[in-house]
Amino acid sequence: MRQQVPNILGLVAIAFFVAFPFVYSGADYDYIMHICIIAFFYAILASSWSMLAGYAGQFSFGHMGFMGIGAYTTALFCHYFYLSPEPTNLCTEYQFGSTWLVVVNPIGVTSTTLTQDCLRQAMATWGGSVQVTPMPVWLGIALGTVMGGVFGLLVGLLVLRLRAAYLALFTLGFAEILKATISAEIEITRGQAGMETPALFENGITLFGHAFSKTDKLPPYFVMFGLMLACLAILAWLAHSKFGLFVRALREDQDAAAALGVNTTRYKVLVFVVTTMMAALAGAVQGHYVGIVTPNNLFLLQMSLVVAMAVIGGVENFVAAAIGAIIIQFMLEMLRNSFEIGGLVIDMTIWRLVFFGILLMVTLRFSRNGLIAPMIDYFARGHVAKETVEKRLRGDEEAEAAE
Amino acid sequence: MSNLVVTNLHKRFGGLHVLKGVSFTIDGPELIGLIGPNGAGKTTLTNILDGAIKPNSGTVYLNGERIDQLQPYDVAAAGLGRTFQVTRSFRRMTVLENLYVPALAMGREANRNEVHDKAMSVLEFLTMDHLRNEFAQALSGGQQKLLELGRLLMLDPDVIILDEPFAGVHPKLMEIIYHYIRRVNDEGKAIVIISHQMDSIFSLSRRLLVLNYGDLIADGPPEEVKRDAAVIEAYLGAEEGAEQATGA
Repeated sequence: MRQQVPNILGLVAIAFFVAFPFVYSGADYDYIMHICIIAFFYAILASSWSMLAGYAGQFSFGHMGFMGIGAYTTALFCHYFYLSPEPTNLCTEYQFGSTWLVVVNPIGVTSTTLTQDCLRQAMATWGGSVQVTPMPVWLGIALGTVMGGVFGLLVGLLVLRLRAAYLALFTLGFAEILKATISAEIEITRGQAGMETPALFENGITLFGHAFSKTDKLPPYFVMFGLMLACLAILAWLAHSKFGLFVRALREDQDAAAALGVNTTRYKVLVFVVTTMMAALAGAVQGHYVGIVTPNNLFLLQMSLVVAMAVIGGVENFVAAAIGAIIIQFMLEMLRNSFEIGGLVIDMTIWRLVFFGILLMVTLRFSRNGLIAPMIDYFARGHVAKETVEKRLRGDEEAEAAE
Repeated sequence: MSNLVVTNLHKRFGGLHVLKGVSFTIDGPELIGLIGPNGAGKTTLTNILDGAIKPNSGTVYLNGERIDQLQPYDVAAAGLGRTFQVTRSFRRMTVLENLYVPALAMGREANRNEVHDKAMSVLEFLTMDHLRNEFAQALSGGQQKLLELGRLLMLDPDVIILDEPFAGVHPKLMEIIYHYIRRVNDEGKAIVIISHQMDSIFSLSRRLLVLNYGDLIADGPPEEVKRDAAVIEAYLGAEEGAEQATGA
């Protein structure tokens, strides 16, 4: 029974988050829902990073880079590709039956002010007589996820021989190069101005007979929550399969694992592909939810936040990492409220990060496997030592009886 | 029937010529001791046989398959398993999980239940079944040695190389290791033991290979090798070796 406690609590937590949007009715409903959505987003990143770093021992600092690949892939796809029943005769375009695939020309950050791109020029000429269809958001998200996996495969192959600090530096370098490239290619990516993305449900959606607009929080809440549960389910399946066993062996001792027949090359690359796909998926969905992707919100600081969330939760347990991410996200938001002590105003918008840093340092010093993972272990493995002693004593008694 | 053919192996690390044309053959379930002073090249030879490092020249064939250019996991699949001089158990995995790894990697068992049953029988043989759910890091040094041997039973290779299996092991556990070596050898597997504990090597081995500064200076029955002048010189030095050889 005691071993089932984490599972029961997990089901209770799922039931709570399913019911929450329907039972909560505070004035700050949208704000709280937004925090939840972002918390689920970080939970996907922290749990997938936990599989990569905590289970497989691959300390990649490029995870947010892969998140960015997912976000930018779908943003570029939705920004540059359209379907039109008529040729524009201005853009690069390809005919498929009676439909034209239109590729919009990149014009950088001036698109809405000084110059119009080829499609907007054509639409101005048509005067509303031709209906142009944007690409489906879900296709962009799928492409972003695949692109994350492709880059994960390439990076996984490149870092095969790298371990520990060298791997961390390589992946950090990869993320920084990506950020610099996105910032520099203003013509295509609009640089620091960022790229606007269509909403997850641009035309709204009807659920349970209720029509939701594109700015309503409930549909993206359940999308991100569902994705988080799906990612956790996949990670759980992987962790309990031979994949999980092999990547943990890889973490413990790569040479010993190889000597015992584990194809270390295959599993090292596989774990990169799986986890980077999850990061890219989260990034793509989050990009559409927020409505803009910029290079600034992608990389180093965000990476540190994800690492801290996973470490505080427990890096060697992906569920603990996800719980850590949700708790930290809420904590950081709740700590925004400034207060006054004896006329001295404590500006928590700044100090909250100090508290967060102290929590991280205390965790690393006194509980290296995080704060949540030991609790799960207490229930899941608390019986092991007692069982070992009992079996040992029973074995001794049997040996004595035999003599 | 295991058959390992090592031919003219050379390995250089920069200017250091660590293996200088080592050749030998293992035919069938032999029980071989590999000895030599520190720096003789024993671990380098093991690492080449295991696929961890590649030789500069020479070949290694196992059961007719060339393995000297394979990755370690392919060498393991081909039928060669090893332990390490310093124990390398998967410390933050349970004892059972340590045993599951090689069996699942080989994929010879039909399902996980079979793997589990096999692991339990291995643990019973090693008198470690009560520790099955403990993390390997909770085991003593000697128990971790036993766990490494257990993993090899799960891997089920044709040729086993044991690197210092007796180092730092309690006499009671040493008995279990002796028993393990004899049983596995009786089951038809070739075993190569690398050790500095001469008593153990001489009592167990039926054939000795002696390496000295990269040269294989002796290969034969223990009693014969014990009297070999080159071996005595390698272990005791030229002067004392000469005295011992002449019976002075």
